[in-house]
Amino acid sequence: MHRVLRTTAFALSLFLLPVIAFAAPAQYQLRVDGLACPFCAYGIEKELNRTDGVESIRIDINAGTVTVTMAEGATMTEAEAARIVEDAGFTLGGFEEVRAQASTKPE
Amino acid sequence: MKANPIAVLLVGLLAVAAAMPARAHGPLFSPAPETIFKGGTEVTLGFHTAKTTGGGDREKEYEVFVGAEYGLTADWEIGIEVPYAWKKSNGLDANGVGDIVLDTKYQFWRRDLPGAQYKAAVFFKTKLPTGDDGGQPRIGSGSTDVIGGLATGYESRRWYWFVSGVYRVNTEGAGGLEKGDRQFLNVVGGVRPVLTEYDEPDTVVMLEVNWERAGRDDLNGAGLADTGGWELFLSPVVWWTYRQVAIRGGVQFPIAEGLNGNQATSDYRARIEFIYHF
Repeated sequence: MHRVLRTTAFALSLFLLPVIAFAAPAQYQLRVDGLACPFCAYGIEKELNRTDGVESIRIDINAGTVTVTMAEGATMTEAEAARIVEDAGFTLGGFEEVRAQASTKPE
Repeated sequence: MKANPIAVLLVGLLAVAAAMPARAHGPLFSPAPETIFKGGTEVTLGFHTAKTTGGGDREKEYEVFVGAEYGLTADWEIGIEVPYAWKKSNGLDANGVGDIVLDTKYQFWRRDLPGAQYKAAVFFKTKLPTGDDGGQPRIGSGSTDVIGGLATGYESRRWYWFVSGVYRVNTEGAGGLEKGDRQFLNVVGGVRPVLTEYDEPDTVVMLEVNWERAGRDDLNGAGLADTGGWELFLSPVVWWTYRQVAIRGGVQFPIAEGLNGNQATSDYRARIEFIYHF
């Protein structure tokens, strides 16, 4: 009986893993040129937090990057990121989609 | 003893001229090319004091002001500043709402690099005759003055520099007095001693060199001998920021002057501002 349950649970987990991975929120790394001081960088935090679908952001002022985590199902295009960064008074120097939660990735 | 209206007005005009709002880590006593982000609002609560002596006069001024700037776009902002001043001049006292200043700034050039930014802006201000100009000492000048200028600068994680030039056109004010037009040239350097992270308090120190020149005043069509000339100031400034909050303060020390005739010269000017970005 226990063996049947274990086998069923294992089969179910194999089925669910891709679903979990698919449901993980999108995450983007923006390289923001012109980002020189924390006080100025607040503008980019404000502009991103006004944007629909943005769940959280992390600013690395010394690397000049902003990591944006989207709400489940929401995405951001490079053109949208460029407009947001421009409205904050900077220039988008690079745009890269990254994995949101490595632990949810299937092996 | 009767107050010297010229010296009192000089202090007032210098105080307004010093009220150059700035974004980010701009200079305190001179204009900066920064503009606030699109849709952003900056509110400033500030305190300014100035003292002048000489030529038989002794003037002191304290001023509290509230300013607001709004970003129409990331490059274009508009703003207003409302001062309330207390003035002492040769034993006489007066206080009240001063001359309100409206301003606009357009950043016409910007070059963004990783961790650094070059920028340049043009700006215009109008000083309205809203302050009381009937008492002694006068709180307002009674004139509508126009101020314009250019500012450029560089900001990086470690270093800052700014250069600016300002021209001020004064019109006839209270008692038929027309102050001479004024010119300002400023060179500023700054450094961030410790590179902090985004969510940590940040400190920047700057040193400004401010040169100011005034034309001779005109009273009912006649030039006044003991007016006009130039002064040079050395001005250390400290910025402290944490996310959208900033406190900055500095003092202007006169290091050279070439004022005409016998008139009051600046002893010092000091300024501190509390800034919040919404």
